[in-house]
Amino acid sequence: MSLRPRIIATIWRKEISETLRDRRTLFITLVLPVLLYPLLIIGFTRLAESESQAALAKPSTIAVWGVVPEALQHELSSRSHLSVRPWLGAPPEVRTGLEQRTLSAPSTTPVQRRNERPRDPDVPPEVEEAPTEASAAAREVVGARRAEVVLVLWGDGGNISIYFDSVREESQLAAARTSRVLQAYSRQLAREPFAVAVRDVAPPSRQAGRIIGTMLPFLLLTLCIVGGLYPAIDLTAGEKERGTMQTLMCAPVLPGEIIGGKFLAVWTMSLASALANIVSLATTITRTLPIDGTAIPLSTYALTALVLLPVTLLTSALFLALAVFAKDYKEGQSFLTPVYMALAMPAAVTMLPTIQLNAWTTFVPVVNIALLIKALLVGEARTELVFLVLAASAMYAALALALAVRVFQREQVLLGGSESMRDLFALGGGMRVPSPSLALVMYAVALVASFYGALALESRGFLVSLLVMQYGFFLLPTLGVARVMRMDLRETFSLHTPRIVPLFAAALLGLSAWTFASGIILRVAPPPDTLVRALEKLLRFSDEGAPLWVVWLAVGLTPAICEEALFRGFILSGLRRLGAVPAIGISALLFGIAHASIYRLLPTFFLGVILGIVVWRTRSLVCAIVLHALNNALLASLTESPLLARTLGLHPGADALPWAPTIYGSVLAAAALEILLLSSGGGTFLVRKRTDQGAGPAPNQAVTG
Amino acid sequence: MSSAVLVADRLARRFGDVQAVRDVSVTVHAGEVVGLLGPNGAGKTTTLRMLAGILTPDQGSVRVCGIDVHAQPLDAKRRLGFLSGDTHLYQRLTPVEVLTYFGTLYGVDQRRIAERIDTLVAELEMGSFKDRPCSTLSSGQKQRANIARAFLHHPDLLILDEPTTALDVISGQFVVEAIRRKRAEGKAVLFSTHIMSEAEYLCDRIALVHAGHVIDQGTLPDLLARSGQKNLTDAFLHHAAS
Repeated sequence: MSLRPRIIATIWRKEISETLRDRRTLFITLVLPVLLYPLLIIGFTRLAESESQAALAKPSTIAVWGVVPEALQHELSSRSHLSVRPWLGAPPEVRTGLEQRTLSAPSTTPVQRRNERPRDPDVPPEVEEAPTEASAAAREVVGARRAEVVLVLWGDGGNISIYFDSVREESQLAAARTSRVLQAYSRQLAREPFAVAVRDVAPPSRQAGRIIGTMLPFLLLTLCIVGGLYPAIDLTAGEKERGTMQTLMCAPVLPGEIIGGKFLAVWTMSLASALANIVSLATTITRTLPIDGTAIPLSTYALTALVLLPVTLLTSALFLALAVFAKDYKEGQSFLTPVYMALAMPAAVTMLPTIQLNAWTTFVPVVNIALLIKALLVGEARTELVFLVLAASAMYAALALALAVRVFQREQVLLGGSESMRDLFALGGGMRVPSPSLALVMYAVALVASFYGALALESRGFLVSLLVMQYGFFLLPTLGVARVMRMDLRETFSLHTPRIVPLFAAALLGLSAWTFASGIILRVAPPPDTLVRALEKLLRFSDEGAPLWVVWLAVGLTPAICEEALFRGFILSGLRRLGAVPAIGISALLFGIAHASIYRLLPTFFLGVILGIVVWRTRSLVCAIVLHALNNALLASLTESPLLARTLGLHPGADALPWAPTIYGSVLAAAALEILLLSSGGGTFLVRKRTDQGAGPAPNQAVTG
Repeated sequence: MSSAVLVADRLARRFGDVQAVRDVSVTVHAGEVVGLLGPNGAGKTTTLRMLAGILTPDQGSVRVCGIDVHAQPLDAKRRLGFLSGDTHLYQRLTPVEVLTYFGTLYGVDQRRIAERIDTLVAELEMGSFKDRPCSTLSSGQKQRANIARAFLHHPDLLILDEPTTALDVISGQFVVEAIRRKRAEGKAVLFSTHIMSEAEYLCDRIALVHAGHVIDQGTLPDLLARSGQKNLTDAFLHHAAS
């Protein structure tokens, strides 16, 4: 039975209007963020200010080593905020050396640091010096907090060193105060024994800005997640407690419509919360915190809102699926609090400066989004990683939604009875072909495992990594699951014997379809040069110069067998019940995403559609394997052998395939597809005809387009 | 006798190790009130949930107006109105909003919903509280609004699970009279109760339920004759003991 959007919209509208009348939810979702950011930021500013004031009120202890000229002595003792302690902590040899003016300043070089924190302009530029006994002793005095600063007047008469701890606020302040005294002293001398830049102490708002900048991604995420938490409990466990769930179940609505309406309502609230958070944050930052030099452009806020879409999708679906197990609101809270903590707390790693968005963190749910927000704010987000993060997050969200749908189909759960989680997740036998959600789970597992597998195997070389990934992460788990669940292998993997004409047509497609991808798609959306070189290098086995037959087996046949078993076997047969267009489209999209690059998405999606159509119509995985193997082997051979490329009229190194082979190849591919469709049960390229397999002609249009 | 509106055949349902309902068959005709009488935990609620299509039986079938409830749940649910102690109203919505919502879910067009709400508000005397949030209503007022929800889409069959429980005498009587009016309109009514006097007063036929199955069913005189007792309570105790 298909879902009725009108009913879903009715349920959504009712849930939203009911939620908006719940003051508690409304407060947490919308009011809290609006209040929180100004309070937090102003609070931090105040706190920083009062800390600074407290520090300013306290005199700084200064250890002074060396013979102090009278004028300087006078300057030092005239300042009430300086507590001068002559020779404090100075080792006897150093004291002797300085008193006898034999100990002169060590040679120094200016410090060059990466990621340097904003420096207090009153403190003279930091220098690195050759370690001496005096400097070691001075460091110890400051490190042990016996004094905030050690001022050393070297025996040579002209050089003065200030030892301070840049991490300690009060030490920085003391250094600034000492510098000002030296400044005043040097003016009296009418000569410049040292260069000191004098400016006021940095405004505390800057420090607050730094704190907020670090906390921002975590804060945003946790508040957005909370935005969906309470509506999710209210619309499930809350309804059960109030006895309204059964009332809804009496009405002529499908479980899918109930979950659809409720999910959209929770998602809406979560999104509204995300929006409220971002608007409040942006307003607070731009209005109350004029951060010099670190102003965040509005487009960054917009992008941040965008990347919050998949994460709110994931958490809304997950909360809904789990909260429905609770009998009442209270139980719902105790169910979801640990889930919320488990989701949100890892996002706290974004507060660590060393953790960044990279290949390893891309697939960690929620954390990847937190890191992406951080990268966006700092302006370091790489397109490739953004694509992967969004694809991974969308995948997790789809899984969570599939779980929610599964839970809502359990009437016993909705009626408040208990049903063990084991029953819910029981894979059990009796499934002839995979269900759509199982297909999705299989995909997620294979994708994440192969992604991390590839990273772990990076050092083992391309061939090992490829074979382990393909056989270990694609083929074996797929076959294993199908076997353990006692599925009909023939149906699941479309193991029907191919007829000769469709097989021939598939082979022809394998030799020609790539021309459309290379000539048209890559012309429209050209990949960056670096990616092309990297792919070519991969195809050449990192310049190992492997024989051509090894290349054919490794790059041609292996992916053809393993990827086809997963994508056109397990996944396509799992999606089959959704109908031709969604099944072929989704499996092709998943196939495209699995190639882990936005630039390869379109060509691989195109190939996935062709392969999907072939298996849908012929019910034979062999046809797809032949097509896929020939396609890959031909492309690898063209990279491997410039001679072959020239023979076919191609120019090595050209950005896209020249027009002539593109057109000939595409026409050939279209003809091959036509033959395949004609020879596999009617419904041709141009003539619409319903077939017995329920395969409409629509997917063909995707190819002709 | 007119045609059967509800035909339930050999229903069974198990929860874990507990066989909640076994081998229950019930038929209700148009213009007839059938009572499901039994103590708490007898399996009445589970039976009624299966009849209303919100719980799938392990065995047996239910047909409403000839439509299989579990094969075509949407069509069947449009023909029945269900009310139980567990079907409450949305606390933050008003009775009119609740009725409009359910009217839309039942596929009634907006103009008809408004007309129907006016009729029901008059019939069930809801004028004084129809626009107040349900959380502020008394038990009796809530039950009236709930009955209006069950009657809203003109169902041929009403399944009412202990509709008078937790109501005071006046409110309870109001509900009983509403059921009688529906019978007069030719609707089929199946209702469960553990109040013997209510069953005696309302029901054309009575099914005695005990430990998950029907121990006897028939008209009141039949039941009394078969048990040799003078009233329904004694008849029930007699059957339960035997």
